[in-house]
Amino acid sequence: MNHKLLFNTALLAGELMLRNGAETYRVEDTINRILSLSHFKVIESFVTPTGIFSTLDDPSIEMITFVKRVSNRKINLSKVVETNDISRKLCTDQISLESAYEQLQMVKASKPYNNLIMISAVALASGFFTIVFGGHFFDFIVSVINGIAIASIQIFLKKYKVSRFFLDLSSSFILAILTIIFVQYIPIGNNLDVIIIGSIMPLVPGVAITNAIRDTIQGDLVSGVSRAVEALIVAISIAVGVGIGLSVFSAFLGGVF
Amino acid sequence: MIVQVVSAFFATYFFAIIFNISKKHLIPCGITGAIGWGVYFICMNFSLTVVVSSFFGALTVAFTAHILAKKKKTPVTVFLISGIIPLVPGAGMYRTVFYIITDDFTMSTQYGLETLQIAGVIAIAIILLDTFNKIIVVKR
Repeated sequence: MNHKLLFNTALLAGELMLRNGAETYRVEDTINRILSLSHFKVIESFVTPTGIFSTLDDPSIEMITFVKRVSNRKINLSKVVETNDISRKLCTDQISLESAYEQLQMVKASKPYNNLIMISAVALASGFFTIVFGGHFFDFIVSVINGIAIASIQIFLKKYKVSRFFLDLSSSFILAILTIIFVQYIPIGNNLDVIIIGSIMPLVPGVAITNAIRDTIQGDLVSGVSRAVEALIVAISIAVGVGIGLSVFSAFLGGVF
Repeated sequence: MIVQVVSAFFATYFFAIIFNISKKHLIPCGITGAIGWGVYFICMNFSLTVVVSSFFGALTVAFTAHILAKKKKTPVTVFLISGIIPLVPGAGMYRTVFYIITDDFTMSTQYGLETLQIAGVIAIAIILLDTFNKIIVVKR
């Protein structure tokens, strides 16, 4: 068995999962399972949301250790699912190591949904959430417009590698302004609250919160805490953005509240 | 109510696209979200508090997610994350800030605490189901 390749495969699988929104224990588990195919004595991996540390040792080889820094994370759960599938197949000997590595490379290269689908998904998600929270048809329309604005801004700003904090802050600021304009000056949409709540849902850090909880239960305290902080910062940036939007409007033009 | 549950389905469905979940899993994700919201809604109609309703909603979501994950041989995260989204206290967060801006600190504290409580009970629901699931797996 080619141990170098085995190690690379394990790390690639781990990196793919970590980058795309899997829980920490799942990443560690996957790496360990793949490495255990070597039947070596020492198999150890330590994963945090920002990096992977892994080592493989046996009397028969020189120790292999690897540190992988994972800086930018996004959410692409289909990559997590596919990687999980491939590692499962590899561990039950359904595919060879070489083909597993190749398939993982393909997963890595696979493209997410394109921008147009993304924008419409964000728009419709905002719109339907507005109805879920008790909005009417006109509120739906305003939220859809908000959603289009948010998604376009995010896609635009991401090109310039703007930080997540500023991204969420500016999107929520703009959605607050847009909502007020629509509710106040164009007589469609009349529930300011509901529209804003529906529109901020796509920004809310649901994945970070859920993973923070699950990591903490698993005992991955470092990951749990860092994800919780991540969620908190996102929540604060959204809140501040909406807050600035609302108060700017009431300060300059008055009469919103 | 039906309008809201159907909207919850679509909202979760489109959310699943935002998370880049592959096409074959989109509908189960939507269903998870709709069921969770339905239970939440029914609880609210029985005049339970928001916190308790969120707990039951999240419990249902976690339960459905675990079943679907077994059935589809997919990591439970996929269904759990998308299903939990409607219950995430976005409204609470917004109201907390809104009342801070309008200088109504009594209301903002009230909503702030409620938001934390909701986040807490959702966490507890997920923990319960995860633990329960592990016990079953170990027993086999």
